[in-house]
Amino acid sequence: MELGAAGRGAAEADGDRPAAVVFARASIAYGRVPAVENVDGVVRAGRTVALIGPNGGGKSTLIKAMLGLVPVVDGSIQVLGRTPAGARRDVAYVPQADALDPEFPVSVNQVVLMGRYRTIGWVRRPGRADRQIATQALTAVGLAHRGADRFGTLSGGQRQRVLLARAIAQQPTLLLLDEPFNGVDTVSREALLRALGELREAGATVVVSTHDLSLAHLACDDVCLLNRHQFGFGPISATLTPDRLRAAYGGAALALAGDSVIVAHA
Amino acid sequence: MLVMVNRLLVEPFALPFMQRALIEVLLLGAMAGVVGVFVVLRRLAFLADALTHTVFPGVVIGYLLSGESGIVPGALAFALLSAVLFTVLAANRHVNQDAALAILLTSFFALGVVFVSRRRSYTADLTAFLFGRVLTVDSTQLTQTAVVAVGVSVVLLALRKELLLRAFDPLAARAMGYRVGLLDLILNLVIAIVVVAAVKAVGTILVIALLVVPAATARLLSDRLVVVSGIAITVGMSGGWLGLAASYEASINRGVRLASGATVVLALVMCYLFALGAGPLSRFARGRWTRGRRARGRLVDVQASGEWPDGPRTPTGLTAGTGM
Repeated sequence: MELGAAGRGAAEADGDRPAAVVFARASIAYGRVPAVENVDGVVRAGRTVALIGPNGGGKSTLIKAMLGLVPVVDGSIQVLGRTPAGARRDVAYVPQADALDPEFPVSVNQVVLMGRYRTIGWVRRPGRADRQIATQALTAVGLAHRGADRFGTLSGGQRQRVLLARAIAQQPTLLLLDEPFNGVDTVSREALLRALGELREAGATVVVSTHDLSLAHLACDDVCLLNRHQFGFGPISATLTPDRLRAAYGGAALALAGDSVIVAHA
Repeated sequence: MLVMVNRLLVEPFALPFMQRALIEVLLLGAMAGVVGVFVVLRRLAFLADALTHTVFPGVVIGYLLSGESGIVPGALAFALLSAVLFTVLAANRHVNQDAALAILLTSFFALGVVFVSRRRSYTADLTAFLFGRVLTVDSTQLTQTAVVAVGVSVVLLALRKELLLRAFDPLAARAMGYRVGLLDLILNLVIAIVVVAAVKAVGTILVIALLVVPAATARLLSDRLVVVSGIAITVGMSGGWLGLAASYEASINRGVRLASGATVVLALVMCYLFALGAGPLSRFARGRWTRGRRARGRLVDVQASGEWPDGPRTPTGLTAGTGM
């Protein structure tokens, strides 16, 4: 796989674009134990931002905070100019597929259609337009031929693609993905990257958490380096410096030629 | 053969009290089948069980205060109270839910036993409350059951999208802005109301079978939610019918007294056992079918992407075809 061929890290700094998410020295806690502290930065509209850091470093927590599912105890997070909870209708969330029960009797089509539920509203059934949008979303992740199958019969990577399709069907302004590449096979990884690329072309704002640095280089404009607190926030090449990576990963980082950096996990 | 079927399954219901009993169990079977699908999907069997016990003191207190007519209001009050309590407990992360359910279940039940033990006809009353008296159902109760059945069906039909999403992926439901606690409260209230509606006919203990067995049976036979609901309703209703007919036949023609409520439950369990046997067969047939489809699907994948699709390399991939 080629790494950052088009020099993605050198994307122009378009600071005049509107802010989709504003972190202002935000700290997030479960109960009294702080999970992430002092996140400070701006996600510009139309950019793809990677949350990078070791496992347990607070990436998932930060995403849940952007959804208003965990409380911001200090500072603030603004999503699309609103509170995180107030912006939920315009934000789509892609959870990790392996958290879902594979035995659940639901078809792939039904799962994707769930992305339409908020728009459809209470009581009413999905209409033809909703089904069409769902089919398009499923096509975008390359699984249009699996629509009638039960969700649990798909491979882990395919399930992750279905969840991305559900989020696409929501037609969100902001898309949040939690470790979408975890335990995903090569074909699904390529399909996910392709779908994310199309979203990027179409001007969507995307925040994706991953502990895979090469994916950040491949698919993202900006990066937020995170391990309990923030080690950097900005354009990839300027932010993912060997020093910062070493600091965030506790010395387990190696710098190689150019901007490709490999992290040896403990 | 036809004569036999007619004599066993139709003739008993010429009697008015048997007719009323039949209508009652058909209504209960259908309603509990629908609600049971959500009970099974959400894995709420224990909660439903707890509800059947926490309703018991309400039944007793209602009866002590105003006789037969007090049973339903008393049960309803306690059912609603416990549905709210359960929802609040479930929403609290610091509480061990199983333990809390068990504590509520036993303390409410003990309360009921204390009240009922103050009466002279202790044993007979207790039996009636616990196991029901479907043969003494009157037309007022039939109307009540019918109204509840319609109400419950309307609520579940109206909310089925949201309840499905909540059951499948609660985190995504919350992320979409749904109030999961509210959805849970509604489902718990619906379960509570079904329990109350069934108390008179099958008693507080046996309601759980009506709620869980038809849906669990259906779940063995299908993976499609619409089909699962349909089978659950059918099993619930036919279990009621078969059970009543069997208890009539045994009690009237064979001189073996079979409690009708308990016989209904046993008939339901028979259905479950049949499905347990039939499940592997139908899975086998379906597995062959899906494997064929999957193979064709892969070819489409290859043609579309120009790459080899992901085969069953991962442990999860291996479940395809064999997975239920």
